[in-house]
Amino acid sequence: MRRTQLVAVLGALFFAATVSAHHSFTATYDNDKTMTIEGTVAQFLLRNPHSFLHVNVKNKEGKEEVWNVEWAAAGQLSGAALVSSLKAGDPVVVRGNPARDPADMRLRMVSVKRTSDGASWGFGNGQTFN
Amino acid sequence: MRRLHLFVVVVLVSVAALAAQTPTGVGPGQGAPLGPMVSGPDFSGSWRPQQLVTESQTAAGDLVDFGGIPLNDAARLYALSWPASRQTVKQHQCMGYVTPYFWYAPANYRIWEERDQFTQRLTAWRFYGQIAQGDRTVYMDGRPHPPAYAPHTFAGFSTGEYEGNTLTVTTTHLKRGWIKANGVPQSDAATVVEHYIRHGDVITMLAVIDDPVYLSEPLSKASMLVRMEKDPDAWLYPCDDSEQILGRKNDTVPNHLFGQNPYAREYAGKRKLPVVAALGGVDTVYPQVIGLRDDEATVKARMMPSGPAAVSRAPDPTPNDGQIHVFRVADNVYMLAGDGANIAVQVGPQGALVVDTGAGKLSDKVIESIKTLSAKPIQFIVNTSFHADHTGGNQKVAAAGADPSVTGSFFSMQFQGAGAGATIISQLNTQVRMLANKLAAPPTDTFVEDRRRKFYNGEAVEAFPQPNAITDGDSVVHFRRADVIVAGDVFTTTQYPFIDTANGGSIQGEIQALNFILDRTVYVHDEDGGTLIIPGHGRVTDEWEVAEYRDMLVIIRDRVQALIKSGATLQQALAARPTFDYDVRYGATTGAWTTDKFVEAVYTSLKTPPKAGR
Repeated sequence: MRRTQLVAVLGALFFAATVSAHHSFTATYDNDKTMTIEGTVAQFLLRNPHSFLHVNVKNKEGKEEVWNVEWAAAGQLSGAALVSSLKAGDPVVVRGNPARDPADMRLRMVSVKRTSDGASWGFGNGQTFN
Repeated sequence: MRRLHLFVVVVLVSVAALAAQTPTGVGPGQGAPLGPMVSGPDFSGSWRPQQLVTESQTAAGDLVDFGGIPLNDAARLYALSWPASRQTVKQHQCMGYVTPYFWYAPANYRIWEERDQFTQRLTAWRFYGQIAQGDRTVYMDGRPHPPAYAPHTFAGFSTGEYEGNTLTVTTTHLKRGWIKANGVPQSDAATVVEHYIRHGDVITMLAVIDDPVYLSEPLSKASMLVRMEKDPDAWLYPCDDSEQILGRKNDTVPNHLFGQNPYAREYAGKRKLPVVAALGGVDTVYPQVIGLRDDEATVKARMMPSGPAAVSRAPDPTPNDGQIHVFRVADNVYMLAGDGANIAVQVGPQGALVVDTGAGKLSDKVIESIKTLSAKPIQFIVNTSFHADHTGGNQKVAAAGADPSVTGSFFSMQFQGAGAGATIISQLNTQVRMLANKLAAPPTDTFVEDRRRKFYNGEAVEAFPQPNAITDGDSVVHFRRADVIVAGDVFTTTQYPFIDTANGGSIQGEIQALNFILDRTVYVHDEDGGTLIIPGHGRVTDEWEVAEYRDMLVIIRDRVQALIKSGATLQQALAARPTFDYDVRYGATTGAWTTDKFVEAVYTSLKTPPKAGR
């Protein structure tokens, strides 16, 4: 027992202190990079622990592929005008941090703008998520 | 009237929940044990976490920041193979929290006491955490922990006692969870002892994790809760999984091959730490970490399999004490453990339907046990496999289903052998292989269709063949009302799957069979409960363990496939030890099914896939 308590104390001295959420965005995304995609909404899932926006995007060869954009928890998105009116087919421009694994074709949402009416998320105060 | 209905529903749900938790020896109507009179500090209230200190104690953390954790070599490689992308797999999205990870979410906690209605004795402490809506019960009434073959949950099963002013809580029956959610696992064999000490508005907690599978020595984690003056009124955080990555095949489980984690040095590099320190292990816990060699050869060696072959360090949940142990799984479906493969029994007004009959060494006791569940005859047996540990009791158990009252009736004309005994049902290839191997009492009622169905004892019962999984004749059986799936050897909790390539088994079919099960399961809350699974061997589970097993097999398949692609022979594939991080949980070096035999089966079935079965 004394040995295991010592373990905790030594660990405390050795490592810096931070508190992180259950879902580590640092582990999932390259937060030092941002990229922009433009396409149409394939599907929007308002969910916990995080929502997802799927966007149909034409690649350089003209072939359509789906990008998977991780967004805030349902509670964090409540009240956002864009969120309540998003629907399949909406034209959008999304800016986000790319996933560390390119095969996922995944972004962490930084901002989104619907080009048909200018409705957006990610530009106002508090429109971020962890 | 509606209030009355609601009340009845609440009572029924409560009774069902209590019944599910009733330990052996406490019968219906007897209630919980009276337990001792206990008194100690009051922990009631709303609390928020205040992390004490260390990054190694926070929940998620950076990639490959394992320092200060006494993980063993298998756990390190498990963690190194884990990419954050794994969280996009459906069953990982709403994964619950095991303790002490439970206490590291940045959200609200509530603690309250449960007292016996009549004696006012303290029966339990309840811990509730907002994130994942974790709900733990710490029994203070002296009840025993459930048997080892009972299901595990993310909350586990906790009992508590006061030691002076300290509440000490012991938790078993935990699921595989996280020590740290950057890939460092806590196994389902872990026991956690927590000490709670209250000083005014602060609770200090010290948890000691004893994990024989993944830790070299016990790990202690400390944390604090600070009392909130007001109820924060923010308690819900429901989770619902979704198709996060559209179009991805269901046999995709993101993973890094051994030695190929591109982020293995990232954390150490940013913090200017020795890489060996960030890779964790017992020698990173103590001051000697400062003197560790950090050259490239040492670092690489820690990222690859090494050391002697490991065997499972998780205890076998089946007692194997010469007795048959009956466990009520759900509703009218029971598991009988103790005679080879697990036996499932469904009972009701029509009779008994038995899935598999065990090894046949304890058939008399099996029959005796079934008779305690139903006075009606055993009318049907379903075999999930031809293997002798599943069919060895066919002859005796079938004979115990003799029922002269149906002889000569339309019932006996419809089902082979009815009246003389139970009718034995299986996929055709099981019958063929039993006949070829001269095994006693082969099935007489076979099918080759994709689903054999029957409505029995007021319940839809379905048998689904799983071509080329363990053999070419396996089936899984779903009791739809009870929502229990009998998996046969497609899923066990005790060993690598016994892929019998000589009789049509394959790794591809095995993965497909597990995904077939997962396509039918539903959890109640955050990968806990709902559809329950009776494995071929081991303890009752829900979908979480099936998904974990599937993930493991996909990852091992990917590694062996990569070896084959690089031109490796079987001997070279074995030497590469593609199961290294799982051997401490499932491995064997002796007995009928060793790790090497499993790897050989994976290699063989990938090199030469079986022809499509019937």
